[in-house]
Amino acid sequence: MKRLAARRTRNLTILIVAVFAFLGCSALATIALRDTARLSGWLLLTLIIFLAAYNLRKKLPFLPLGSSAAWLQFHIYTGFFTAVAFGIHIAWRIPRGPFEIVLAALYLTVFASGVVGLFLSRSLARRLTTRGDEVMFERIPVYRRQLQHEVETQVLAFLTASDSSAVAQFYADRLEPFFSRTRHFWQHLAQSNRPCVALLNEISSYDRYLNADEREAMQRLAKQVRKKDDLDYQFALQATLKYWLFGHVPLTYALLAFAVFHLLLVSAFSGGGR
Amino acid sequence: MPILESIQRPERWSVPFSTEMTDADIDRLLEVKPLCDLDPTQFRGKFTLRGILQNDARLVRYRKGDIIVRQGDWGNSAFFVISGSVRVDLQATTSLPGEVLGRQKVRRKSAWQVLAQLWNFRREPEVRDVASYREDARIGSRGSGEQTRIYLQDISAVLDTYRTAVIKAGQFFGENAALGRTPRQATVFADQPTELLEIRWQGLRDLMRRDTGIRDHIDQVFRERGLEWFLLNTPIFQHLDKSEVAQLVNQAEFETHGQYDWAGSFKRLARHGADTNLQHEPLIAEEGHHPNGVVIVRSGLARLSRRHEHGHRTVGYLTPGHIYGLDEIVDGWLGKSPKPLKNSLRAIGMATVIIIPTKLIESLLLEKTGRRNISRRTATGGDPLIKRPVIDTTRINPDFVEFLVQNRYVNGTATMLIDMDRCTRCDDCVRACAATHDNNPRFLRNGPIQNNIMVANACMHCEDPVCMIECPTGAIHRQVEEGQVVINDQTCIGCGACASNCPYDAIRIVEVRHKRGDFIRDDRKHAPIVKATKCDLCADQWTGPACQNACPHDALVRMEMRDVQKLTEWYTR
Ligand code: HEM
Repeated sequence: MKRLAARRTRNLTILIVAVFAFLGCSALATIALRDTARLSGWLLLTLIIFLAAYNLRKKLPFLPLGSSAAWLQFHIYTGFFTAVAFGIHIAWRIPRGPFEIVLAALYLTVFASGVVGLFLSRSLARRLTTRGDEVMFERIPVYRRQLQHEVETQVLAFLTASDSSAVAQFYADRLEPFFSRTRHFWQHLAQSNRPCVALLNEISSYDRYLNADEREAMQRLAKQVRKKDDLDYQFALQATLKYWLFGHVPLTYALLAFAVFHLLLVSAFSGGGR
Repeated sequence: MPILESIQRPERWSVPFSTEMTDADIDRLLEVKPLCDLDPTQFRGKFTLRGILQNDARLVRYRKGDIIVRQGDWGNSAFFVISGSVRVDLQATTSLPGEVLGRQKVRRKSAWQVLAQLWNFRREPEVRDVASYREDARIGSRGSGEQTRIYLQDISAVLDTYRTAVIKAGQFFGENAALGRTPRQATVFADQPTELLEIRWQGLRDLMRRDTGIRDHIDQVFRERGLEWFLLNTPIFQHLDKSEVAQLVNQAEFETHGQYDWAGSFKRLARHGADTNLQHEPLIAEEGHHPNGVVIVRSGLARLSRRHEHGHRTVGYLTPGHIYGLDEIVDGWLGKSPKPLKNSLRAIGMATVIIIPTKLIESLLLEKTGRRNISRRTATGGDPLIKRPVIDTTRINPDFVEFLVQNRYVNGTATMLIDMDRCTRCDDCVRACAATHDNNPRFLRNGPIQNNIMVANACMHCEDPVCMIECPTGAIHRQVEEGQVVINDQTCIGCGACASNCPYDAIRIVEVRHKRGDFIRDDRKHAPIVKATKCDLCADQWTGPACQNACPHDALVRMEMRDVQKLTEWYTR
C-alpha cells in the first residue's frame, strides 16, 4: 500500500469536491441576490483563524489536539481552499481602497509563502540527504571554524617546513575568503556546484607551478574545499527550510490583525443591515 | 616468531562473578545442601565444581525485610538459600504494590497537570522537587552503590496482607528467569537474616549439565511454569487442546545461544567494525541442513541469513514469538521428502529458543489441518499456520535490514526512525520532548543514517532490556500495562549501571538541581546527587510519544521492530 500517495489522492479529491460545492453555492446565492461578500468574508476569516491556530497547536504539544501531521494536512488543503474563498470574496477583482489592497496583498503573500514553503519542505529535505554528512544547523558555524583552523594550521606547517610560499600564497589569495564564511548560498539552493568546481579547477591548474610536495599539499586542500562546500550546502538548504517560516508566520499575524480591522470597518459602515 | 602464550582458563572465568569467594567459603558451601549431594566426579575437565563456585557464584547476605528480586526485574542469576529463609509473593489475589518495591506507578497526568505544563516551564535543566525524594513509609533503604538494599519496614503487615510462600535453606529460586532471560515472575524478600548463594546463569547451566537431580528439577519447574504458558500464547498452537499442549510441553527442547552479557561484547564489536562473516554470532540452525524441528524464539534476537558469494546476506530477523523452519517442514511434508533449511539462524547477542520436534509438528498441526487446507494457504481454509507472524523483510532494502540487524536496532519496541527525505530538520520533535519533560529533551535528533533513514539516539524500550540487569534498586523497570521501560527517579541512586549497560548509549546520568538552580547535594557525601534519565515514551502524557505526535511531515515514527509488517508498510509507504 502506498499510504502517502493514497492520502494525497484522497485529500485532493475532497478539496476539489469542496471547491466545486462552494462555487456552486456562491453562484446560487448570487442568483438569490444574497450578500455573498459577507458570507464568503466570514468563511474566509474563520478559515484563516483556523490556519493560524496551527501555530498555537505547535506550542501545545502536551494537549491531545491531534497529531501535527494531521493538522498540517488539513492546513495545506484548507489553505488551498481559502484561495477560492478569497477570489469569490473580492469577486476576482483588485480591491479598491488602499487598506483593502494592503489586506489582499497580505493574504496573497501568506498564501504564496505557504505554497513556496510546502515546495521547499518537500524538495530540500530530500536533497539534504544526498550530500555531505548530516549536521545540526546550530553546529555548522562550529564545524566551519574547525575546518578553517585545520586548513590554516596545515598551510602554516607547510610554510615553515618548506622554503616555498606558493601554497600559503594561494590559500591567502583564493581560499581564505572561501573558508572564512559561508559561501555560495544561492548557487547551492539552485543545486549548482559551479563555484566549487571552478575553485577545484583553479587548484588543479595551479599544479604546473608547484613541486611534488606542494602538489600533495594542494590535493589535501582540495579535499577540504569539498568538505567546506558540503557544509555550505547543508547550511544553505537548512537555513532556507528554517527561515521561510519567518515570513509565513509573522505575516499571518499581520493578516489576522488587518482582517479583524477590516471586519470592524465593514460592520461599522454597513450599519448592521443587509 | 612470536611466542604465543597458551591460555587454559575458560574465557568467562577471566571475569569472575565475585572476587570475594575464598577457599574457606567454598569448603563450607560444599558441606551444605544441595551442593553436598552433588557428585564431584561428574565435574571433570575445565569446569570443576570448585571452579564454578569460585568463579560463577557469590555469597550474599540479606537482613530481615530486604527485597532480593522484584517481579518484572531482569537478572542473570539464580539463588540457593544457604541459611535463613525467604518469602515469595504468590500474587494470589493482590501482589505487593510497585511503590513498595521501589517502583513508581506512572500515572497519567490530570487535565490540570497537563495544562500546567504551559506555565510550569523551568529555566534550569533537571530540576527536581526534593520533597518528592522522601521515602515511602513502607520501605527503607540501606547500603550504598551496588550493595544498596531496599527493605520492607513492616514485614508482619506484608505477611498479613499478601499471600506468600516460604523458601527454606537448601531450596533455590530465580532459575527460570536466569536461564530463560525473561523477567522475574515473583517478588522475593528475606524474612529473617539470610545467606544466599547467587549463581550466574552459565554456572547454573553447567551444574544442570552435570547433575541429573538439578537438571530434572529445573526442567520440571521450567516446563510447568514457563513453557506451557509460552506455547499457549504462540498463535499456531492456540487451537490445540490440553492434552496436545501437554505433548508439546513434554517433548519441547530448550536451548540457549550466545552470551548473556552481550552488551559489553557488542560495544567492543562496534568499536572494531562489523564482521560480515558473522563468526561472532552463534549458529542455531544452518542453511542446507534438514530441520529437526520448528524453532521458536523465546527471548533475545536472531538473524536470518543466506549464503551469498563469500559472505552472508541478512534476509530477516526474529524476535520473541517468531518461528523458524516451519516452511521447510510443511514443504517436506507436502512433497513427502524432507526439504533443507533455506536460511541460517544465528543468535544476535543472546537468544533462547524452544524446539518442537518435526514429528510432533506433523502430527499435531499438519495432519490435523489436512493436505488440502495447507496447500491452499488461505486464511479461511482453517490453516493455523496462517497465524504465524511475518518475518519476511524482502520488500525492504537489504542494506537497511542489514544495518538494523548489525547494529541491533531490531531490539527496540519503540525505535525512533526518522525518514530524512521528509524531515525538514525543524526540531519540533525535540521541542515537544522538552515541553513534556520539564524543559529537558530526552533524546538527540542525531544518529547513524542508512540511505535515508536515521535511527535517532533515543531509548528504544528494548525487547531484551540489558539496561535492567544490574539495577540495584529496581528503579529502572518495565511498565506492566504498556511495556515502556521507565526509571523511577525517586529510587534511582545514580550508580550508572543502566547507562553503562545500554548498548545504544541512550541513558544519561545528570546532576539534579533545586528550583533555584543550585545542585542538590548529598549532605553525607558532599557530592551532587545524580540520576539516570532517558526517554519514557511520554508514559505520563495523554498524547503518547510527543516526538512522533509533533512531527508535521510524518517523518518520525516510534517503531515496534518485531512487527515486520508495520515496518515494511512504513518503509515502502
Ligand atoms: C492563507 C492562509 C494561511 C495562513 C494564515 C497560514 C498560517 C500558518 C501558520 C500560523 C503556520 C505555523 C507555523 C509554525 O508555527 O511553525 C503555518 C505553517 C505552514 N503552512 Fe501555512 N498558512 C496559510 C496558508 C498556507 C498554504 C496555502 C500552504 C501550502 C499550500 C501552507 C503551508 C504551510 C506549511 C508547509 C507550514 C509549515 C509546517 C512546518 O514545517 O512546520 N500554508 N501556516
